[in-house]
Amino acid sequence: MDTVSNVNTSRHRIRNTFAGIAGSVFLASCATNAPQDTFQPKGPNSQMINDLDMIVFPIAGVVGVLVVAFACLTFYKYRDQGQAIPSQSHGKPVVEIVLTIVPALILSVVGVFTFRTIFDLAETEDTEMIINVTGQQWWWEYDYPAQNEYGITQPIISSGQLVMPVGTKVLLRETSRDVIHSYWIPALNGKKDAVPGRIHLLRLEADKPGIYAGQCTEFCGLSHANMRMETIALSKEDFAKWVANQQKPYVSPAEGTLAKEGEGVFLNQCIRCHQVNGLKKADGTPAIAAPDENVYAGAAPNLSYLMTRNTFAGATFDLLSKNCRKDVWESASEAFGAKYLSGVSEDCLDQNKLRSWLRNAPAMKPMYADPAKLEVSGGKYRGMPNLGLTEDDIDKLVAYLLTLK
Amino acid sequence: MFTPGSKYFLGLTGLSFAVAVLYLFLVNPTDLGAIALFGLSASGATVAGFSLFTRDSDVYSAEEAVAAGTVSPASSVWPMILAFGTALVLLGLVTNPIVFVLGVTVLVGGGVEWAVQNWAEGASFDGAYNQMVKSRVLGGLEYPGLAAVGLGVIAFLFSRVMLATSKTQAPVIFIIVSTIVLIIGMLIGFKPAVLGKKVVGIAVLGGLLLAGAGIASALAGERHELAVAAEEDHYSAEHRECGEEESEHYDHLANNTVSLRSSVTATVFVKDGKIYAEEVGLKRKVDTLTVRRSNNTSFLFRNLDEEPRRLVVNLGSEKVAETGVVEKVGTCTQLTDKNQEQILTLLIPKPATAEEPYSFTVPGIEGQIKLVVP
Repeated sequence: MDTVSNVNTSRHRIRNTFAGIAGSVFLASCATNAPQDTFQPKGPNSQMINDLDMIVFPIAGVVGVLVVAFACLTFYKYRDQGQAIPSQSHGKPVVEIVLTIVPALILSVVGVFTFRTIFDLAETEDTEMIINVTGQQWWWEYDYPAQNEYGITQPIISSGQLVMPVGTKVLLRETSRDVIHSYWIPALNGKKDAVPGRIHLLRLEADKPGIYAGQCTEFCGLSHANMRMETIALSKEDFAKWVANQQKPYVSPAEGTLAKEGEGVFLNQCIRCHQVNGLKKADGTPAIAAPDENVYAGAAPNLSYLMTRNTFAGATFDLLSKNCRKDVWESASEAFGAKYLSGVSEDCLDQNKLRSWLRNAPAMKPMYADPAKLEVSGGKYRGMPNLGLTEDDIDKLVAYLLTLK
Repeated sequence: MFTPGSKYFLGLTGLSFAVAVLYLFLVNPTDLGAIALFGLSASGATVAGFSLFTRDSDVYSAEEAVAAGTVSPASSVWPMILAFGTALVLLGLVTNPIVFVLGVTVLVGGGVEWAVQNWAEGASFDGAYNQMVKSRVLGGLEYPGLAAVGLGVIAFLFSRVMLATSKTQAPVIFIIVSTIVLIIGMLIGFKPAVLGKKVVGIAVLGGLLLAGAGIASALAGERHELAVAAEEDHYSAEHRECGEEESEHYDHLANNTVSLRSSVTATVFVKDGKIYAEEVGLKRKVDTLTVRRSNNTSFLFRNLDEEPRRLVVNLGSEKVAETGVVEKVGTCTQLTDKNQEQILTLLIPKPATAEEPYSFTVPGIEGQIKLVVP
């Protein structure tokens, strides 16, 4: 009796597990707040992929269901019941030919559409704007070469959030400073690896203004899961405003303010790795960061106009508080640009996150930033270390960083 | 199972290996000490293996060897070879390190051969059996060693021929010779029985031809432009000529690999006395290029001018720490013929200063391409 009871219990468990998994998958497909959903294209490139999926997935689904059903039926019908082994034969020419020709035909049809889509996605002749994208453990750098037609008279450099105009064929030129990464904004296009020493091209185009989330999709080390990115699509008018803002001269905080003291702390501590364009040392000479001397991959995020971005630390953390972020993310297309361009105000800044980061960055994001374990990297960091800043220094730095917009 | 001698060396192997592992984890994994300890362990294992294999050099312990008795030692060439090796070592000490290394190699090889032969001759009265004992020890070393030496000699002689003949003749000779080798190889493969005895003759003939051609080519010397380039120190890593080219014998066809060409960020052109650039992805001319900080960035230089040109990158200047002298920083491509291309890869860690902006220039051509490191 016990044995029968155990078998029934096991069957129930297996059945419940399968039901749970199937139910989870089904419910997951119903999610509405899924910014990285591949089935919600927001641009012509992702639309092309989606159109291909709409052809391939039904075919693959039907084939998959038929194969599984046929296999299950066979397993059940011919299960071992003590019957004699049936007579053995070698080959069934008709079945073999049909089972070769039918998949070949299916693959041919799928192949025609797939190759056409691949070639369409690889098209670069109609590029209207280029942006350099550089992956590094564990953040993305964006630099905009001079392009006068967009008002970019001198290169712009940013990180975490890529800003681009809507309705514009943007070509990303990807590479990496250390290991292989992969850039993927599901709403705008497929994935493309960023490989050291190579330039890989990826087209992006957004139909409407908004924020489109993505994530590195090539395992790249300790904080791979925290290597995120967001693409910000602005109307052409708003993009022009963003460009103008990114090129305006640096303004040092007023004398006697907390922010001015923060500038001093920045020059003492942060400038070792982080550049702020236009920042000058006390003797009036340009303050040039030296990440090549302190960071393994040779670069650290440029913090010029930091507060025009909504995120920091590889887009892992929000600069905006929860409500302010919701206000920007959920705004209508028409109102989005103005809200994004307003940047991060003192009221909207998520002070807790930024202060925690300045207090002890490695505690928030796993990085090889332990000074005692840098022998393998020649004494260089792979992420921001704990600088041992005092609360007083942090107050000053936060005040200073708020002026970078 | 284990002989007394092998036990000693096995013990040494195990002990040194254990110490090496401990050293690796507890002291310093990158230190030479670990390498030395692992080397000691490997050496101990090798000697232990020999000791086991030869039963502590006691060949008489084998029953068949005892039954066969012993024979008088045969005459040996190895003393003469050892003497020759000693002469080479001494000669190498005062002439060329290669001769010295060759002498040491001959000494070691000859010494091992002589020692093993001597040991094997004491095995029994049966010369054939003694030869078998010797082959059992040295056979696994002699054939690969002789093959390596033979291949090295063939490669060296053939390279002399390639270096002596002109650039146009060399590929033709290579194609003909490799085709003949392939055909003969196929014939031997398909008709081993028919060609069995002729193979030796063909191999000897081919060897003599190669030796003759190689020696004749070596005596004739390298072709003119290679000899001149060597005299002008073109093969030195320090060789830099970013101004007017002084030599006629530069590499006129210095196109780079497909891999590099597919990873350039921009192409710099010189045409009709003007310099301009095109960025990947943009089909128009630009006069400013962006170089990502601390990232290897490749540029393709394409000369469409009538004259040979080279691309020069100017990266400001810096004070040399040792001398305090301020020197210009930069590099350049080789001189590039009309319609030829070359790659220049830059790694720039810091942005330029306003006083000394970075740029691409081409000597003899007006204008420049600005380089910006954001």
